[in-house]
Amino acid sequence: MAKNVPDFRFEGPLEGGLFVLSGNLNAFTAPKALLVRFGKAFGGLSRVRLDLGKLEHLDLNGAAILIALMGNLGAKKIDCGVQNVPEHLLPIWELALKNHPSPETLREPEKPDVVTLLGMKTARFLADLRDLVSFLGETLTHLLGFLFSPWRIRWGDFFALAERSVVNAIPVTCLVSFLVGLILAFQSAMLMQLFGVEIFVADLVGIAMIRELGTLLTAIVLTGRSGSAFSSELASMKSNQEIDAFVTMGLSPARDLAVPRILALTAATPLLTILADFTGLIGGNIVMISMGHPYMVFWEELSGHVDASDMATGLFKAVVFGFTVALIGCQRGLYADQGPTAVGEATTRGVVTNIIAIAILDSLFAVLFYALRW
Amino acid sequence: MTQAPTEKMTPTPDPARPHPLRAENLTVAHGDSPPLLEGMNFVAKEGEILGILGPSGCGKSTLLRHLVGLAEPRAGKVILFGEDIFSEGNRSLARARRKYGVMYQSGALFGDLTLLENVSAPLKEFTRLPPKMIRDIAFLKLSLVGLEKAAFQLPANVSGGMCKRAAIARALALEPGLLFLDEPSAGLDPITAADLDELIMTLAKNLKLTFVVVTHELRSIMKIVDEAVLLGKEVRGIAAEGTPEYLARESPAPEAIAFFQRGKK
Repeated sequence: MAKNVPDFRFEGPLEGGLFVLSGNLNAFTAPKALLVRFGKAFGGLSRVRLDLGKLEHLDLNGAAILIALMGNLGAKKIDCGVQNVPEHLLPIWELALKNHPSPETLREPEKPDVVTLLGMKTARFLADLRDLVSFLGETLTHLLGFLFSPWRIRWGDFFALAERSVVNAIPVTCLVSFLVGLILAFQSAMLMQLFGVEIFVADLVGIAMIRELGTLLTAIVLTGRSGSAFSSELASMKSNQEIDAFVTMGLSPARDLAVPRILALTAATPLLTILADFTGLIGGNIVMISMGHPYMVFWEELSGHVDASDMATGLFKAVVFGFTVALIGCQRGLYADQGPTAVGEATTRGVVTNIIAIAILDSLFAVLFYALRW
Repeated sequence: MTQAPTEKMTPTPDPARPHPLRAENLTVAHGDSPPLLEGMNFVAKEGEILGILGPSGCGKSTLLRHLVGLAEPRAGKVILFGEDIFSEGNRSLARARRKYGVMYQSGALFGDLTLLENVSAPLKEFTRLPPKMIRDIAFLKLSLVGLEKAAFQLPANVSGGMCKRAAIARALALEPGLLFLDEPSAGLDPITAADLDELIMTLAKNLKLTFVVVTHELRSIMKIVDEAVLLGKEVRGIAAEGTPEYLARESPAPEAIAFFQRGKK
């Protein structure tokens, strides 16, 4: 540390393009403004000599600054050199000269062009799809195996995961569903009131919640809450080489880690969906009551227009969505890269893929059930 | 506590040339738990490699956290280049942090930045140099630790030894006079560890840097450390101090005998 040494100064140009440097030259005492002024002082010269004789302190950063300045002058075809390097600064000066980068070594690796980038993205997408399909196949194989030997399922994990992923998600799912039911009923009631048919609010809310929204809301809440947790847990395990340990011990991460999660979410999502449907209907009913209809009118109207097939449709979709959320969440975690950002990336990709998958599946189901008149 | 007869480990305050590091009656603890290490006095002199030694669990890393200002001592002072780093709270800490660099056990490089960007980061934050000059300086530091060819690599794509070298380069970015190294050889093969030891010695010699190295690697201790402070669990403080040769061969302290004779029949 240079104590009580004045900051960097320069005098020049003197005769023969001589500049006399003095004081303490380091990264803090040579701000950009001073360097710009120093650079401007070289204007019009064909030869520059930097005299370091009066320089009291110079560290590696200061030496690197001088070498970079000399490099700039060299690039402008100005004959540049240093003289009178003090004995005590010579080791630092020589060390900096030895390690200073050449322009070739500083050249950044070329970045891929747009076409290459597009190709890389497409290849990545196809590889992702292949991994997902391959993981689906592996999971289904294990599930089939468990059908014949259910005692091999880790039931302890199954119940713990079902509790953590679904039972603990009950409050948030019910709250969201209740509010959506309320909003849906309120918005539709305002319009229907104009025609005096606000009684049909019950049918609208009932069919929408039971066939569509209850399932969809549950799947989205589970994606954000449980699917992302699966991705991050498994990606952390991958980062800590726990997954590698599983494989080298002859265990299957898909069978022992993913299948219990998939089973838990698949089995418990319909139950959560029923709760979501019910709270959504309560939301709708509250709006009806606030409009002056007796409590039972809502349920009587509902029972006349909503049947078991609507319920079955919603629950069937809940099973598929539960399976999908867990499958994609686990796949993204188990196929995560290594490194500090891998967990975050795996979680984000898991959530995004799940939301896209749910939207696509829901659209397909809508077309399918319409075609089947179900 | 035993002390090498030939060594002068007592603090010798000299206002003109203060020691890079001086611990005065330092007592450290984890949160509210009882003190782990008490009443420690030691110095690291300019250009010296000071080893903080001791078996696992004796408090080496906790002591390091206090020396680098990540935790406030229960009692006593940490004085860097003549200034108590906790005297004015955050203000004195901020001043002190420009005077030292730290290499953490894992390297702790920023994972989404290349090695060059990692080394450039402190220069961008604390200096007003033009970007090209910052790049040149960062590259010079990487070249100094032999990583000029890996400058554009991400930390995830280089080996553990290279990560540690890059972490040293980053710690050197602002040219501090004092460098703290936490277990530099941990997790490295003997050849890479020996290379890192060579690098530390070269830097200490060429840049007149002071190093404080927390380690329990005997080979590394005997090779690079000038002065050592051996921590003991039983004594809850400094069990012995002196040169590694003294501690290994002459020190009567049971902790020193146990530490340096481990693995020998």
